[in-house]
Formats: sequence, structure tokens, C-alpha cells
Amino acid sequence: MAPTEIKALARIIDELDYYQLLHLQPGASPRDIKLAFHSTSRAFHPDANRHLDDELRSAVSNIAKRVTEAYQVLRDARRRGAYDDQLQSGGGSRIRIAEALSAGSRQDTETRQGRTPQGRQYFNLAKLDAQRGDWAAAARQLQTALTFEPDNEFFKSELKAARAKAR
Amino acid sequence: MGRDLPMYVGSRGEREPTLAPWEGSAPHGRRRPQRGDAGMSEIAIGIDLGTSNSCVAVMRNGEVEVLTNAYGEATTASVVAFREDGGINVGNAAKANIIHLPDRTVHSSKRLIGRYFFSEEVKKAQAICSYRIVEAENHGLRIQIDEEKFSLPEIAAMILSEMKSIAEARIGQPVTKAVITVPAYFNDNQRQATKDAGRIAGLEVLRILNEPTAAALSYGFGRGLSQRVAIWDLGGGTFDISVLEIGDDVFEVLSTAGDTFLGGEDFDDRLIDLLADEFSARTGVNLRNDRYALEKLKVAAEGAKKGLSLENEVEIRIPDVITTANGESHSIERSLTSIEYAALVNDLIQSTFKVCDEALQQAGVVARDLDGIILVGGPTRLPLVRDTVREYFQQEPREGIDPDRVVAMGAAIHAASLVSSDQEAYLLDVTPLSLRIGIVGDLAECVIERNTPVPIEQTRTFTTFKDGQESVEIKVFQGESQEARDNELLGQFSFSEFEKGARGEVQIDVTFEIDTDGIVSVTATDRATGRAASTRITLSSGLSENELDAIIDESRTDRVEPTTRVDENNRVIGAIPLKSVPADTPVVFEETRASKARLVGDDDLIEESELLPLDEAPTIPDAVPAAAAPADGPMGAGGESTRSISEPSRLDRSAKAAQIGSDDPEEIEAFSGNFSQNVIDPAAIGAEDEGDDLDLIDVDEDDDLDLLGGDEEEELGGPILELGRDAELADTEPVIANDQLFESPGTDLSELDDDNEEPR
Repeated sequence: MAPTEIKALARIIDELDYYQLLHLQPGASPRDIKLAFHSTSRAFHPDANRHLDDELRSAVSNIAKRVTEAYQVLRDARRRGAYDDQLQSGGGSRIRIAEALSAGSRQDTETRQGRTPQGRQYFNLAKLDAQRGDWAAAARQLQTALTFEPDNEFFKSELKAARAKAR
Repeated sequence: MGRDLPMYVGSRGEREPTLAPWEGSAPHGRRRPQRGDAGMSEIAIGIDLGTSNSCVAVMRNGEVEVLTNAYGEATTASVVAFREDGGINVGNAAKANIIHLPDRTVHSSKRLIGRYFFSEEVKKAQAICSYRIVEAENHGLRIQIDEEKFSLPEIAAMILSEMKSIAEARIGQPVTKAVITVPAYFNDNQRQATKDAGRIAGLEVLRILNEPTAAALSYGFGRGLSQRVAIWDLGGGTFDISVLEIGDDVFEVLSTAGDTFLGGEDFDDRLIDLLADEFSARTGVNLRNDRYALEKLKVAAEGAKKGLSLENEVEIRIPDVITTANGESHSIERSLTSIEYAALVNDLIQSTFKVCDEALQQAGVVARDLDGIILVGGPTRLPLVRDTVREYFQQEPREGIDPDRVVAMGAAIHAASLVSSDQEAYLLDVTPLSLRIGIVGDLAECVIERNTPVPIEQTRTFTTFKDGQESVEIKVFQGESQEARDNELLGQFSFSEFEKGARGEVQIDVTFEIDTDGIVSVTATDRATGRAASTRITLSSGLSENELDAIIDESRTDRVEPTTRVDENNRVIGAIPLKSVPADTPVVFEETRASKARLVGDDDLIEESELLPLDEAPTIPDAVPAAAAPADGPMGAGGESTRSISEPSRLDRSAKAAQIGSDDPEEIEAFSGNFSQNVIDPAAIGAEDEGDDLDLIDVDEDDDLDLLGGDEEEELGGPILELGRDAELADTEPVIANDQLFESPGTDLSELDDDNEEPR
């Protein structure tokens, strides 16, 4: 790739989503993704570009880091799902790799914090009560939180624990 | 290794050379180094810096050569001996000193590099190594010889310097560039320290390369393979497994896992224990209390391991293993079968498969998906190891790969590639350990997961917690635990270069980067001013840039007397520093690694002439061992020659620190007394937050409130919040991290805290 192209790509890199970066269609197969990663890496791998001047090398290095990020997200079905959701809902073109959570673990996070405003509110109150050591009050708040989210297993287990403490 | 490479996809050929001021004399384009014009082409070597042995190789004219030392040995013991006259020897001759001058002979230093003084590994080494390991600033460590203190990178530099000399003698020109390999599971501290070692040795370290990746490169380079392989690498002190996908010229590491506390020397320890126990039962004498006896046991144990690589049964004979106070001399004579040995070490081998399970699972493959298993490391020569590995993977490991040389060869291939204008292989490696940032409650939140490809960069945004806060403290960890203390602390720094403001107003971007060497750097930037403070994440005990410069200036590495050099006729000669050993101790060397190594009584060895007294040494191609031997060199003084311990010095014995405890009550006393002052809770490092060094809030976190920072939030007025992208501050009060739910003094968290799993 010509130096001018490298610089241009580095400039617009924040505007590209992971699919564009790897020259992939949104429906690309895992095999396509892997091959795209390999061929893109051939062009932008820091090893292959160590002869460049500082400015270009730094541009190539920034592209390479973004390429691996794109691959790390797209190669994992769950992370890719989370990313696709984000793109769909008009979110940013990047997602944090450590937190591009699988649907499952995202749900898990939501469960733990409460999925409804009221559930969250009473859960937070329960936390305060628990901090004060008032386990009976915490249990009551959790009980209330559960009326808004009756199937929240995490709340249930916290309630059970709070009741045990209250005793 | 010559081959035609398919042209890679990509556009390098279209580059305009005029626009690229290529550095050095290697213009971009297709100009290959002139074949046969070695004097002109740029040379870069590959060095496998091992726990017990090191190996150096070079690729020239498309061929990979392992560069042997003057005595024809492909591997050189990673042992550094400090003579009383100030001279330094490295290699097998140095290793011979372990018996005579154990306190001046540093072996197994790779186990200590990049470690904190309070680490388990250092504790073990202190218990069993005769050389002095002392604490240095910031929980670092030094090795003390007389009044001099040496950092671990400096010791490693001495070994590298010897390898460099071997290469220069063999290649016939100065060498300044190298690829150095490390265990895949090495953390940032260990990688950085190894890279520093290269600099001290006068080498430009082109790349820190993972050992299994190097082995895969050596296996697959230029063969146009399309395979998934596992590299099963059991070294002297570490175990690594990497699963790779080789697609033509691309070597993609799918996953890596390892254990930096498991190696061939643990096998030796098992046998030492057996021999010592049996001896104690028979005579009532505890050999573990006698360093000399212990060294003999170690020699015998390593020899037995090697012997059992070739035979089903070996004879262990240690004449005069100890002479008791009443003048009685005891010996050990015992045969050992493969089956007995298997019973001793089987659980160690089995424990590697837990690590393998993890690596396969992370790579998303099962054993039968693999097209090949490649064994690396000396212990893989044991039939029992091969059998067990075969059983686990349900396939025959690849034949014809030298487990002692394959890593250096791969490093050489990569080194050549990095100085050539042709990129002939692309290594896509991963980070072996998750990178984490410290958050409230002594927790460490994952920023980059293990097995993420490198290079990679992630940015988090934080804010201040208090109005007018002066600085923020950032702690970086590596490891797989959410508990900060169970991870390795890479470093911490305080950032104050920001416009002070009300709480929550300041926005600080913290960028975490892992480069292709697996080395971590962290940069903090104030969004308002764009002012940045970046840091090479430096082990608190690691060398600062200034210390490194000072060490390079002091150039104590120059005191290493190379054993392999070129005479005036350009012939490679060896100069075994005979003055370093007692006159009556034959200095010997192993002729070749592959030569039949049966065990272990010294008579056997000499008769079988696997190990040759120097003065009987045959002419080795390209090698002219120096003959003369000063009779009483400084290191030889001291009367060891009367101790009947000459046999170990004749053996190519392992120099590894055996992980055995001492039974000597006095020693244990001294040891624990010594240590209790120095045990430091890693999590407590940097707990001494001062004044306004407060914690940060991550501004673009989801609306959970992770609290970042020190251990003393309570006293400091509370931690700061990590704020979500979609965070609404109002909604996020009270400031309690999820994981801290219900935490209050006197509360038993264990009942409640079962939700602490890291989300995968």
C-alpha cells in the first residue's frame, strides 16, 4: 500500500466499522473473517513494515492494532452478536473487547443490577441497608425489587443470603 | 529450508520506494541479500535463552544453522561463574563450578528474572541455591557475589554475551541484532527484563518471541502448510502449550497456556527426594543437609533422566556421596527402571494436560482437530513423556524435530526475516495473560483478555472523584483473577498532568497497549489539554531507564571471557577457562547432545567417552580446544579436590535450582527469619496512597459503578466512579461496586459472594 494510502487509512480509521476495516460483508462467515484477518495482517503487520519511517510506522501500527481488535470481536460469535447489536442501534464503530459480552453474560450483568428502573432502585436501597448491617431491611428491599423482577435469580439468591444474615 | 513462497496477498510490491526512507542499507524492494556475501549482508541471530541451556542459530542463504560452540556443543549451559579474580565464565565450564564454588556460580537465573523479591519462586531459590539472592529497591532482587550486586537482566546479559560470541566466531562477523525467545507464558515483567538483558549484552533485540511460536515457525516455515498444530513445550523450568493455525506464510496462535513453575527440573527433584529418602532410611544420614551431596544427587538425577530417554533401565552410582563426621564414606548404587521413574513423575506430566485442556478449549478445538503435535524441550526425549502425550492427543508426535534446537532455529528464521526486505512469514501471536486495571476492593478489572491477538490497544476514560483532585493512581496487573493480589502487579503510576476541576469534570483517557513482543505500555491523557504521560509499565523491581544506562556504562558484561573465539587464522577455537577449576579435576565436555548418555557413575562416563577429558579431546571440526591449563587458578583454590566430588564436574549436569526444601533446621530458621521481614503483599504495594492521589472514575463504563484505585478509599474519602457510556450519575448513587454488595465489617462474604466469576 502506498504511503499516502496508509496515512489516509490511518486518518479515517475511527470511522470504519470492523467489517469495513477487514473488507468484509456483514454476513461474512468465520472462515472469511479469518482469511481477511490473515491477508490484512500481511499488509499491516508491524514486522512487514519495520523499514518505514517513524510516521508511517506509527500509522501502520495503529491500523494493525485496530485490525486485531476487529478480529478479536468478529471471530467470537457472542462478541460479534453484541457488536452487531451495537451497530444496529446506531452505536459506535468500536466495542471494548473485554466487555463485548456475550448475550449471556450481558444478561447476567443486567440481572445483577436489575433490569427495571424500580428493580434497580430497590436493589440499590438493599445495598445501602446491607452496608449499614441492617439485613432485615435489606431483605425487605430485595423482596420489593423482586416484585418488579419476579424471575431475577440473582435477586433471589441475594434475598436468601440477606435473610440468613438477618437471622 | 529453501522454498518458493507464494506471493502474499497485499500490495507491498506497489509501494513507491522513493517515498519510503528505509532505514539502514536495506532498501525496500526485492533485493535479496547477496548470497555468499555474508560479510555485507545484515546478520541477525536467534537465541533460545533457556533455564538450563541456551542455543543460538542463524539463517543464511535460506538455510538455518545451529551455531555450535568451540567444542561442538549445540547448547551451552545457562550458568555464569564469577571467578575470584573478577573474570566471568559462562557455559559448561562455568557449570563445573557449581560443586566447587556454589556461592559464585549462578544457575537457573531464568527462574528469577522479572520476579519480585517476595515471590514464591525467589523463596524457593533462596532455599536451595548457594548463591546469595538479596533484596533491592522496590522489591527487586540482586545476586550478590562478594561485594558486587548483579541484577537478573545483567546475569542474563552475560549468557547472551557468550551466545553472541559463539555466533560471531562461527559467522565471522560482528553480530548486533537478535531475536530472543521467552516462554509463551512469561508476563510483561519477565519479557521486559529479558529485553533489557539483550540491550545490556549489546544486542538490538528485534523481537521477544514466544518459544512455542518459534518452534512452530521452524516446523512450518516455507512448507506451504495448512495445518492446526499444538506445540507441547516442557523446558527446564517452564511448561507451555500453544495451539497454532498455520496457513501458508501466516502463523496464527489461537491460544497459549502454561505453567511457569513446572519443568524438567521438577522431575529431577522427585528422584532426588527418592534417593535422599532411601539413603536416609538406610543410613540415618540426611543428604539434604550437605550441599555437596545434594549437588551430586542433582547431577545423578539429571543423568538418570537423560539415560532413561534412551534406555529402559539405568544404573545410578554415586561413590562417596557423603563422608560422615566419623570418616565413614557412603555411596549410592541403585538401578532405576522407566516404570519406577514413571511412577515418580507421572502426576507432573498429567498436570500439563490440565493446561492443555485449557489451551484447546480457548482455541476452540479438540485434540482430534489437530494435524500435528510438536514436542519441544529436553524432557520430551523421555519415552514416557512421548507415550503420555501421544495418549492425550491420540496421535503420534511429529518425528525428526530436535527438541533442544527447534526454538533457536525458529528464532533465527524470524530474525532473518526481520532484517530482510522480504517478509516471508507473518507471526500473529497472542497475549498469554489478561491485562487488568486495579479497581476498588482490591479487585482487578479485565481490560484485555488473555489470548487476544497482539498488537492491541484499548482505551478507558476515567474521571476524578474529588473536587480539585491533584492526581490519580493507576495500577496495572496481569493474570486471571479478579482479586488484585492473585495477579502479577506490572506497575503503577500517578498521573497529575491534568487541568484540575470539579469531581466528574476531568476526563482522563488511559490507553493500554500490548505490542508484538507482548510488552505492555500505558498512557494517560487529559482530554481537555491533550497532555499525556506515558509509561513503559515497569516492574516496580525492574530496572529504570537510568539504571539500565548505568549498567550498560559499567559494562561488567565485558568481563565474560568467551569460550569460543577465532584465532589469527580465522579458525574457531575454544578456550575452556581451566584456571577456574581445581587442577586435578578433569575438565570435560559433552561431545554432542545426541551422543549416548548413559548414566552416571563417573567411571562409566569416562569409559564410554561421552564426556572427554580435555587433554584427550579429539579434534572437533572447527574446534581447537585450548590445551594449557594453569594448575591453580583462583577459583580452584580451597582444597575441594580432596573432597572426592570430581565426578559431577564431568557431567553435563543440569544447573537448575531444584525445588527441594532443606531439612537443615538452622537453615530453615535463617531462611524464614530472613523472609518474614520481606514478605510483602503484592496488593499492598502502592497502598501508600498519599494525600490527593485519589482514584479515578471510568467515564464510559456502563452504568455499573466500578471503583478504581487504591486500598484506602475509605480513609481517603471514598473512591471515584467509573462512569458508563450511558451512565447517568444520578442513577448511579450510591457509589458501591457491584462486587462489594453487602460488604461490611464483620460480614462473612463467602455466602454472598458466589457471583464473583469473571464473565467469559
